[in-house]
Amino acid sequence: MRRLRPYSLPYLLWMGVFILIPTLILIVLGFSNLQLYNLGVFEITLVNFTIFIQDQVVSALWNSLVYSIITTVICFIIGYPVAYYLSTLSDKKRKILLAMMIVPLWSNMLLRIIAWEKLFMPTSIISDLFGISFDLLGTPTGVLIGMVAMYLPFMVFPIFSVLEKMDYKLIEAAKDLGASDLQTFVKVTFPLSSGGVISGVIMTMLPAMTSFVLPARIGLGKINLIGNIIESKFMKEVLGSSGASINQGALISLLLMVLSVISFVLITRVDKEGETLI
Amino acid sequence: MGKKLIIMSHVSKRFGDQLVLDDFNLYINENEFITLLGPSGCGKTTCLRILGGFETCDEGTIEFDGKIINDLEPNQREINTCFQKYALFPHLNVFDNIAFGLKIKKLDKETIHERVMNILTMVKLTGYENRAVSTLSGGQQQRVAIARALINRPKVLLLDEPLAALDLKLRQEMQYELKEMQRELGITFIYVTHDQEEALTMSDTIVVMNQGKILQIGTPEDIYNEPNSRFVANFIGESNILSGVMKDDYLVEFCGHEFECVDKGFKKNERVDVIIRPEDFDFVPPSKGKIVGTVDSLIFRGVHYEINIMIAGVEYTIHTTKYRKIGDRVGLSVEPNNIHIIKHIDHA
Amino acid sequence: MMKKTLKRKIPKLIGLLLTIFSFIIIFTPILVIIVLSVNASTKGYSWEGFTLKWYVELFQNDVMKEPIINTLVIAFSSTIIATVLGTIFAIGINALEKKKRVQMMVINNVPVVNPDIVTGISLMIVFSLLSFTLGYYTVLIAHVFFSIPYVVLSVMPRLKKLDPNLYEAGLDLGCSRISGIFRVIIPNISTGILSGALMAFTMSIDDFIITYFTSGAEYMNVSTWLYATLSRGRSFTPAAYAYNIIIFAVTIAIILFVNLKRDRKEKTV
Repeated sequence: MRRLRPYSLPYLLWMGVFILIPTLILIVLGFSNLQLYNLGVFEITLVNFTIFIQDQVVSALWNSLVYSIITTVICFIIGYPVAYYLSTLSDKKRKILLAMMIVPLWSNMLLRIIAWEKLFMPTSIISDLFGISFDLLGTPTGVLIGMVAMYLPFMVFPIFSVLEKMDYKLIEAAKDLGASDLQTFVKVTFPLSSGGVISGVIMTMLPAMTSFVLPARIGLGKINLIGNIIESKFMKEVLGSSGASINQGALISLLLMVLSVISFVLITRVDKEGETLI
Repeated sequence: MGKKLIIMSHVSKRFGDQLVLDDFNLYINENEFITLLGPSGCGKTTCLRILGGFETCDEGTIEFDGKIINDLEPNQREINTCFQKYALFPHLNVFDNIAFGLKIKKLDKETIHERVMNILTMVKLTGYENRAVSTLSGGQQQRVAIARALINRPKVLLLDEPLAALDLKLRQEMQYELKEMQRELGITFIYVTHDQEEALTMSDTIVVMNQGKILQIGTPEDIYNEPNSRFVANFIGESNILSGVMKDDYLVEFCGHEFECVDKGFKKNERVDVIIRPEDFDFVPPSKGKIVGTVDSLIFRGVHYEINIMIAGVEYTIHTTKYRKIGDRVGLSVEPNNIHIIKHIDHA
Repeated sequence: MMKKTLKRKIPKLIGLLLTIFSFIIIFTPILVIIVLSVNASTKGYSWEGFTLKWYVELFQNDVMKEPIINTLVIAFSSTIIATVLGTIFAIGINALEKKKRVQMMVINNVPVVNPDIVTGISLMIVFSLLSFTLGYYTVLIAHVFFSIPYVVLSVMPRLKKLDPNLYEAGLDLGCSRISGIFRVIIPNISTGILSGALMAFTMSIDDFIITYFTSGAEYMNVSTWLYATLSRGRSFTPAAYAYNIIIFAVTIAIILFVNLKRDRKEKTV
């Protein structure tokens, strides 16, 4: 086995190129007036921080926080019981239901968003066929429903995978030692599944926080999240007059990266090799 | 016994800052059944892996049949290994597992078939060729592993604790069979185990190891009867180790009495350790014994009783077929050639 | 007694109801897409009768042809490359001593945990630093990049289950270093490799965010094409629903087939 070790080395180099280098560049971009397409001279400056007082950015940051937290909480409240329920089923049923939960993810994300959009319109197929109008476009409720539907599986999978692997004897042991069902759950089952919960929370919260198509489409552009700001800084304003948009975008991206790093530290605490991630 | 087939000289190996093999020197003869014996972590498996080519040594040379083979890949060595837990290929059936080496050598189909069938007969697995290895019992898997290694007709077979996973009865059976196989094939077996009984039963030569060093090399009789250190004495069988003083050649004092013995060459009045095997004591009436004590505890072991006797505050272990009650006063005698004397080494 | 069984049944009932609810909201968009794909209406506001014309148009509409081809080409090529590289890297990582292996797995999981938008921007920055023109190759590299960690993650558990002596037994019996990998390791981790490849494929074919940041203005896959179409409000066609349903059905068929085959294989062993 020892002689197979060198095969891991190119990976380190590859990850260095695509993770470490851009992170460093983002840091430089965020704290200077460096132009990405003109890597000449640059000056260290904190001028990019002014975006954090722009109303648009402040509200996007706030929205990101609120929407991602609410989405995560709802996903957790629904997802944990679902994962628990699935883990109690027979092998065969469990396999089928889990597969059914993965299946929708193979459908194009944009089209799934478009589907919600069509459904939430004041006049939709539903209103045409059944006379019920959801009319949720541009509303927080609409955005939240879309997000929960989109990210719920990412909460269920990691929790399920931990619960599934859990030794059932531990639960029996707890009961044997006199714990009631509720006590067993609170003192044994839940703490043992906390690794899956942390993975699930992170795998739900980060994508929800950074989504930009969903709020743009279902929120009709009225509800902007941090992802929308980054998108506009990197993809739309680039050609505009102020050259600073990428630097500002970089600064917001760095903020996200800090969140990722924190998440990362949390995940590696509970699951060193990322076994709950897929 | 034949010529020297393998010579390991000054071999050292470290893992990180841990010295696993420390200036290791050993030669192995043709047709020899040699056992590396020691507690886990003593470096015996590492030694085997260096011979197999799975590890490289940091210092020293390994000579095989007159050639230095330090840098040879495992597939270029005329040595095959029977791995711990067998390492049978789960994706192949019994036949394909055994035929693996021959297929790599690209032998023709008939030859492969013939040789596999022959070796299956030898390991008593005829009729199992199409079975998946996962459906075999531990003992059968063990036989497949041996067949898979032997079919390549190596000059040396390395066996890494091959019987560790088997139950006692099967283990004893396999010990006998392995020994037979080695005799019939006339090749060298290098066997690694931590089980001293296994080593004593099967080996021509035993190498006792501890902490990366060789402590003693010898025939099973030598090692058992003339252990050269406290460690060997304790590791191979049970021992009573007493401190004594060498009064003269062939005369040692312990327990306040002088005893005749067969050792010489120590300084006068040198402190020594006296080793007496539990089964080497005989009971005599208390009045006739130099050593007299009281039976402290007694365990029935099947073949014999294990009796602990307190003598002047020291506990002696004795194996005997004679029954004594707890509290009995007994005298003990011991034959001069059953008293083994080794240099005293201070132990912390 | 009655009370106790009832008490036990309530949590189970809640679990069941929430599971049903979950499936409803997860499957709602899929159902809507299916309905829209057979609805005669172009705008999708109302039901105008059953039709299969969008499925026909899919193969005739030139606007969608290019994004579809791009999507498939990228999906196939990135899956193959990522599977090969990911398997090799996983074999290397598995052979490392525990501490280094954990460190490598932490690095491996960075792109998995990182939000796609961060990965997309990072890749875009590297490409612009290397002055690569954004297009096919940058998208390919990007897809290989985000797929490899998933291949590694699905191969790793299989590798861990392997007896570490297995590869050495192969060498011992005459394999070279490379042939040992093919003859001994690969056959025993093939199910992991396959599920890694499937995962890479499904991720690539549906990717939007990372492609969006690394494809430039000219090169489009179906997702970025859809996004451009929607935001500019032009040339959207319900054939896109039809495309999605076809890809969706094919994916399900492939995965069902693979799983059935695997089950049968495991039964015969």
